[in-house]
Amino acid sequence: MDFNLSTEQELLRDGLGKFLATRYDLEKSRTAAKTGAGWQPEVWRAFADELGILGAALPESAGGMGGGPVEIMVIAEELGRALVIEPFVDTVVVAGGLLDRAGNPAAEAVLEQIAAGSSIVAVSPDPLCTNAVRDGEHWVLTGSPAVVMNAPIATHLLIAAHTGDGVGLFLTEAGTPMHGYRTVDDRRAADLAFDGLRLPADALISADAAASLEQARDEGAAAVCAEAVGAMRRVLADTVAYCKQRQQFGQPIGGFQVLQHRMVDMYMELEQSVSAVYLAVLNLDAGRRDRARAVSAAKATIGRAARFIGQNAVQLHGGMGMTEELAVGHYFKRLTAVQYEYGSTDQHRTRYAQLSRG
Amino acid sequence: MDLTWSPEDLEFRDEVRAFLDENLTENLRRAGRLMTSVYADHEASMAWQAILHERGWAAPAWPVEHGGCDWTLTQHYIFSRESTLAGAPALSPMGIRMVAHAIIAFGTAEQKNYFLPRILTGEVFFCQGYSEPESGSDLASLSMAAVDDGDHLVCTGSKIWTTHAMEANWIFALVRTTRSDKKQHGITFVLIDMTSPGIEIRPLVMTSGEEIQTQIFFDGVRVPKSNVIGRIDDGWTVAKYLLEFERGGGASAPGLQVMAESIARNAGDLLDDPAFAAKLADVRIRTDVLEILEHRMLSTVAAGGNPGAASSMLKILSTELSQAITELAMEAAGPHGRVYQPHAARPGGPVADYLPPPDGYVSGEPWQAMAPLRYFNDRAGSIYAGSNEIQRNILAKATLGL
Repeated sequence: MDFNLSTEQELLRDGLGKFLATRYDLEKSRTAAKTGAGWQPEVWRAFADELGILGAALPESAGGMGGGPVEIMVIAEELGRALVIEPFVDTVVVAGGLLDRAGNPAAEAVLEQIAAGSSIVAVSPDPLCTNAVRDGEHWVLTGSPAVVMNAPIATHLLIAAHTGDGVGLFLTEAGTPMHGYRTVDDRRAADLAFDGLRLPADALISADAAASLEQARDEGAAAVCAEAVGAMRRVLADTVAYCKQRQQFGQPIGGFQVLQHRMVDMYMELEQSVSAVYLAVLNLDAGRRDRARAVSAAKATIGRAARFIGQNAVQLHGGMGMTEELAVGHYFKRLTAVQYEYGSTDQHRTRYAQLSRG
Repeated sequence: MDLTWSPEDLEFRDEVRAFLDENLTENLRRAGRLMTSVYADHEASMAWQAILHERGWAAPAWPVEHGGCDWTLTQHYIFSRESTLAGAPALSPMGIRMVAHAIIAFGTAEQKNYFLPRILTGEVFFCQGYSEPESGSDLASLSMAAVDDGDHLVCTGSKIWTTHAMEANWIFALVRTTRSDKKQHGITFVLIDMTSPGIEIRPLVMTSGEEIQTQIFFDGVRVPKSNVIGRIDDGWTVAKYLLEFERGGGASAPGLQVMAESIARNAGDLLDDPAFAAKLADVRIRTDVLEILEHRMLSTVAAGGNPGAASSMLKILSTELSQAITELAMEAAGPHGRVYQPHAARPGGPVADYLPPPDGYVSGEPWQAMAPLRYFNDRAGSIYAGSNEIQRNILAKATLGL
């Protein structure tokens, strides 16, 4: 039973935290999201070259440092605290995990590019959205997966599809037709349209990817939970600070007991979320059932906490909390989106209930 | 970071399990299973204490010189967890877990020599006299008078919410020796012999029908000054010290897990009802998370840190979760949950104005009969040991700096 980070993990956290505090500007990143490229390639490059976080949890064979779930947790939490929109969880954790487990040379090559910061990989994870039919030396893909995160900025696509033989995982370069857009939390996504998309036979990097996709979803959920903890820490700190300085009725509003108790409830939701993340992260390498149960417990907890903390942070900031002038409004949008990523609160609670039934 | 126990801890766990297997008789397990509140049936509880005492495990948190165990914090947690999982009846916390720590920290050699061994054997059984009819959350406003009379203090006033006053032969109480502007000053911590003349006990019939709580009246009760713990007028220091033990976290998650699992085992077809299944999943998830939170606090304390206000958080979370679970058990019990049949349980105290059926008939299963009693009694969780509102005040100040 040990809840301490190793010295290396602390260095990772502190180095990244310092980098983000000095080099990641909230306003600049929102401008990039709204009127620019949708992300900041120079930040991504620094993640790879200066900080090495893109490869921190990827295997050494792919140029990574071979870290594990705890390293991912540490990184994701710091990124969440700074409200980073660049797709660490989606590309490194989820796509990286899928590519690594595919154990295929083409996948390995892209994995190396992820670690080096030269590739962004978007994932269309739901095989129900896409069908793949073999046609001689090709696969023909048909389907219209919606809201595929990062597709507009990706260099590669990973597509889960039913092959008639099971769930296949296809890897292709970006450039397929899509309707791109911005999400409410200032990220890029797209509705894809595969209307008989022809891919070479070797685009199928895994013919039986169902278990790997489930694992990727759990790893993505756990990492997003850690990211949300970082965001919730910041939002609670901002709210407490605001209530200490905002004066009404001749006193700081933080002196009112009804607001104090609300903030204590926010704090307790946060502390439960921290514990829930530990529960998930420290079970990611356990058997399938234990992993799934712990991750669902965590995602359901974080979903509840993100809603409670986000909504009450806005409430306690009053009208200013609804504007884009303060950080809290931007964090609120991210904390809203988090509730629906990698399985909603209700989906995870239902899965937890099913897994608990012997 | 990892969630596994060390090999030494696992070895200790096996030792505890073997002991529990061997010594928890069916009657004792039954008393544990049929508890309707945090208190077990008194006789069963004392019988279990005697068995633990023989093994040297009745008061593991005491210093070794007084009969405690040289355990790590993790071992304490494991012992508490395993006892709960095995269904052991709870021991009364008043003597072993509370007043004894005050005696150890503030008592004279004579007080230690007299009380500690007798608390261990059960010969001395304490109840607690803190709250008064006019002093609840604002405990320091207490006014039970203790007038100086040479070698004695003469006590007059009333204490309320005293658990097990009928069974106890001693009470530890906070009394008013001096009135001053600062209400915390002038309070004295005394031990009073319950057989002293001038003490009258009025049982309070709780919503569960149990008479486990009482109000006590003191009329000119003479207490030797040698029974004062710490200094006269400085009892608040002792009381604050003890409150830390009363709130001291411990292992609540295992008990809550047992309660939630028993609902899952008994709920039958209700598990197919999505609304019920979602509520059950909710409380189980909260319990899983609380367990990690308890481990985190343990690991802080084990590393020499102070749990501080975190114990307030654990108190709030564990009592509110327990209330959610007893509420859910009420739902699971269905119509049988409306039947008043305390004979199917083993309450922690006597039951007022109730005649059990001569043939012992129970409508439904024992867990259904217990559901309303537990639900009613469990309202106490958010009230006792500093109400949850008071705990939130503490957290706002200590943790958020508000």
